[in-house]
Amino acid sequence: MTAKTNWTRFKENLGTQNPVFVQVLGICSTLAVTNVVRNTLVMCLGLVFVTALSNLTLSLLRNRIPSRIRMMVEVLVIACLVILVDIFLKAFHPDISRQLGPYVGLIITNCIIMGRAEAVALTHPPLASFVDGVSSGIGYAYVLLAIAVVRELLGTGEIWGVRLLWPGWVNWSVMVMAPGGFFVLAVFIWVVKGGLMRPPEKTGG
Amino acid sequence: MNKRVKEIAGAVGFMGLLSLVSISGVAALHLATAERVARNADLFLQRAVLEAAGVAVPDAPAAAAELFRREVAVEDGSIASGRFVVRAPDAAARRTVVYRRRGRGLWGVIDAVVAVDPDAGVFGQLRILGHNETPGLGARIEEAWFQRQIAGKTGPFALKPEGTRSEAPTEIDAITGATLSSAAVRDILNAVVRNTAEAKEAGSP
Repeated sequence: MTAKTNWTRFKENLGTQNPVFVQVLGICSTLAVTNVVRNTLVMCLGLVFVTALSNLTLSLLRNRIPSRIRMMVEVLVIACLVILVDIFLKAFHPDISRQLGPYVGLIITNCIIMGRAEAVALTHPPLASFVDGVSSGIGYAYVLLAIAVVRELLGTGEIWGVRLLWPGWVNWSVMVMAPGGFFVLAVFIWVVKGGLMRPPEKTGG
Repeated sequence: MNKRVKEIAGAVGFMGLLSLVSISGVAALHLATAERVARNADLFLQRAVLEAAGVAVPDAPAAAAELFRREVAVEDGSIASGRFVVRAPDAAARRTVVYRRRGRGLWGVIDAVVAVDPDAGVFGQLRILGHNETPGLGARIEEAWFQRQIAGKTGPFALKPEGTRSEAPTEIDAITGATLSSAAVRDILNAVVRNTAEAKEAGSP
């Protein structure tokens, strides 16, 4: 795979092949952790780290992994990386670790990571797999951060502890609750797929 | 047959080796951060004890730890004893006893601290230290309204449907869809009611 195709893959994972709003993967965490921007950022960094390194590791091992046990190997590598992230957060960011609760551990079951491992890492060289992992993670991250900004701003009037809306603003409590995640994600997908990514309409018969 | 045995042995060997490498990495990080994680857990407990007793806790970890050392007498000199006597902030107010108690939730242990006036038997605040309950259902025991509702009540407690917002001294609202988690918290509170009565009879502080 050439550098050009790496760049193409990078762009595709951010846009036309975005894991969240095109492939609709990783929705559980998209809905669960996007009510506070700070938690969302930590979750996204964790996911980028795991996706990138699991793709790289599995790609390095791809010619040695017995095909019958490839999924066990994928889960082992992914789980190991996730536990490293979990231990790091417990040691250095205990409050965020507590607020994210089980969702850090649940990165193991995030479909994006397993999907990229199966679709790319086992069949591509390390650099291409690494680029794919990083870009898939970033594609997931910017969507989550966009949703988190809307939810925290409308739900609390603040972002990262900084008051941004006027003093009389009445918080939309629904935005920080689970239904708010559904609404904002649905609107996001609607705007992106219905407006920005709409294919040109065919003319004539 | 021989080829098949070789294939199986190769797969088992590969998985074993990869597991060994992965576990070594995780164990190394765990050992390197264990002391820090334990310190974080102690600090979280100290904060929870002070907050339950209604003491304003400073943000800085060192200041919070110092406040705990100054204001809290730990039974048997060990925080594992689960009974803390918090000094009154001024001479006019009563001292508060904070109990750390555990109960069985739906998925695992619910660990909580509860403040109670040892003479009048009136509850202060409840703080949840840890749990494994279902996110969105049982995990709602961490919500502020649920923890706040015991303040000023005496127990022993009975559960009422969520939304009752009962003011009765022996009633608390359960969480809809989380009967077992709510009952576990109720049992923790009722154990503290018994402990308080026993301590009063025994004449301990």
